[in-house]
Amino acid sequence: MHTPERPPQPQPPPEGHDSGNPPDRRSFLARASSMGMIAGLGASYGTAGLYAARYLYPSKPRDKAWMFVARIADVAVGGSLRYTTPGGEKVALARQGSAGTVEDFVALSSTCPHLGCQVHWESQNQRFFCPCHNGAFDKSGKGISGPPGDAGQSLPRYPLRVEGGLLYIEVPTESLEVADASAPREGHDPCLDGGAPL
Amino acid sequence: MSLSPLTWIRERVPVGPEQLRELTNEPVPNHLKKWWWCLGGTPAYLFVVQIVTGILLAFYYKPSPQTAYESVRYITEEASFGWFLRGLHKWAATMMVAAVVLHQMRIFFTGAYRKPRELNWLVGMCLLLLTLIVGFTGYSLVYEQLSYWGATVGANITDSVPVVGVYLKELLLGGEVYNENTLSRFFILHAAVLPVTMAALIALHVTLIRLQGVTEFHFRDEDRKKPAFFNFFPDHLLTELSIGLVLMVLLSVLATVLPAEMGPKADPLSTPEVIKPEWFFYVAFRWLKLFSGTLAVLSMGLIVFLMYAWPFIDARIRRSRPESEASVWIGVAGALAIIALTVWEASVAH
Ligand code: HEM
Ligand code: FES
Repeated sequence: MHTPERPPQPQPPPEGHDSGNPPDRRSFLARASSMGMIAGLGASYGTAGLYAARYLYPSKPRDKAWMFVARIADVAVGGSLRYTTPGGEKVALARQGSAGTVEDFVALSSTCPHLGCQVHWESQNQRFFCPCHNGAFDKSGKGISGPPGDAGQSLPRYPLRVEGGLLYIEVPTESLEVADASAPREGHDPCLDGGAPL
Repeated sequence: MSLSPLTWIRERVPVGPEQLRELTNEPVPNHLKKWWWCLGGTPAYLFVVQIVTGILLAFYYKPSPQTAYESVRYITEEASFGWFLRGLHKWAATMMVAAVVLHQMRIFFTGAYRKPRELNWLVGMCLLLLTLIVGFTGYSLVYEQLSYWGATVGANITDSVPVVGVYLKELLLGGEVYNENTLSRFFILHAAVLPVTMAALIALHVTLIRLQGVTEFHFRDEDRKKPAFFNFFPDHLLTELSIGLVLMVLLSVLATVLPAEMGPKADPLSTPEVIKPEWFFYVAFRWLKLFSGTLAVLSMGLIVFLMYAWPFIDARIRRSRPESEASVWIGVAGALAIIALTVWEASVAH
């Protein structure tokens, strides 16, 4: 095999060759320029990295709005009603007092405070149950067993407001049901229930 | 002028069989003639299977909540041999987790992580975690009920990490809750970011093995006069290739007899009554049911940290008590605990 000859490597200049500049000034300049180089690289790539991180981080929180729920006169003391947010999330709303103010009402979210699954009401056990890690909550939303019970977590409550005898709730407006909403759900005939929210 | 194509190439790329032998003549200790010493090659082989089948699946897969489930259904039911490729991808994922775990157990029980190989144990731990995370993100792509709720629970676990958790969660989901952007994030993590990271780490893993050599063991029944080593090329390569053949047959049978199926489509408004992750997360799933949120997550973090630090902990134990068998007992206890939690989770609905 033929190995081509390499051109001679340039030799480093002998020490002190660069006359005029004493060696320590030269080494200072060399060090300063490497520092400048490192700082410049760090600053430019760092900025680009920060921009990329900001790009990946979601920019807006979920949209929320105040929605009308009911006339407070229509909700009996001790009574409850099911409210469905525009996004389809189920809210368990109950009236516990007769003062006619917002303190009478609680609106429980169905999202488990443990790791975010959906709870459902079990009427035979009088409790909300979360199938993910066996979390259970009493009627008022207080965790009674499973991880939420151990950690003393309760079902989150939506903010409520009473104005002129009308009850309003603040809920997210975007749909959670990102799946094709026009397609009928499994085992669910849209003709039979007229498309009413479950 | 008569110039064969081989000569033409040889003149431009000066590498021949001699150089190849020179590059790969890593001496391999004799015990690697038995397959259970070669468990490290198995995940590497399966990784390549995943890249190839994954790229093929990605030709039809559409990562958005409106289209994902339908595109996986199309792959499974309509695309020619789609069911087969999907089955291969799914079974190779399962076997990859199993192979990584077995490989790690072999390293653990033979003490092959000891000096000078501590760094490679750290690399291996990263590969274990990445394999689990790739499995998790892949499972989420199908957009069936269990994919959706698994992803939700997984993202909320990161939220339980103190201080940075809430940012991690939003970064992962692309919002406060699962939303339009989530699936494409999972897809790009699953199909690009994580596999590329794994490929780099596998390269580092193999480089370190080459630099340090495979740990030598001496067995009582060994003939001392015979050479203790054989050549990587071609002898060991042939061993690995025959393991590859067995794996391919096994994967094809599994993909055909137990094909990948599809559960009900994701419904963000109702969690199914019985919810289970993939089998290799049963341990973590049971752990989450046993302890409250933050405690469960922090204790899992501590266990992972101890696994990373194991070579250094072991070195300290052996410095004070050189004859100690502690590592064996700790390993047996850990393996039994993992098996017990997995069987427990598998045997009950809740
Ligand atoms: C590195 C190791 C990998 C592992 C352990 C892995 C694991 C998985 C798992 C468990 C699933 C769900 C399977 C199912 O239920 O059908 C999946 C799905 C998928 N993976 Fe991977 N994967 C890997 C690499 C890749 C790569 C490199 C790509 C693409 C370049 C890819 C593309 C896909 C696609 C498109 C799906 C969804 C389609 C389907 O579920 O059939 N994967 N993966
Ligand atoms: S998510 Fe409800 S108990 Fe874990």
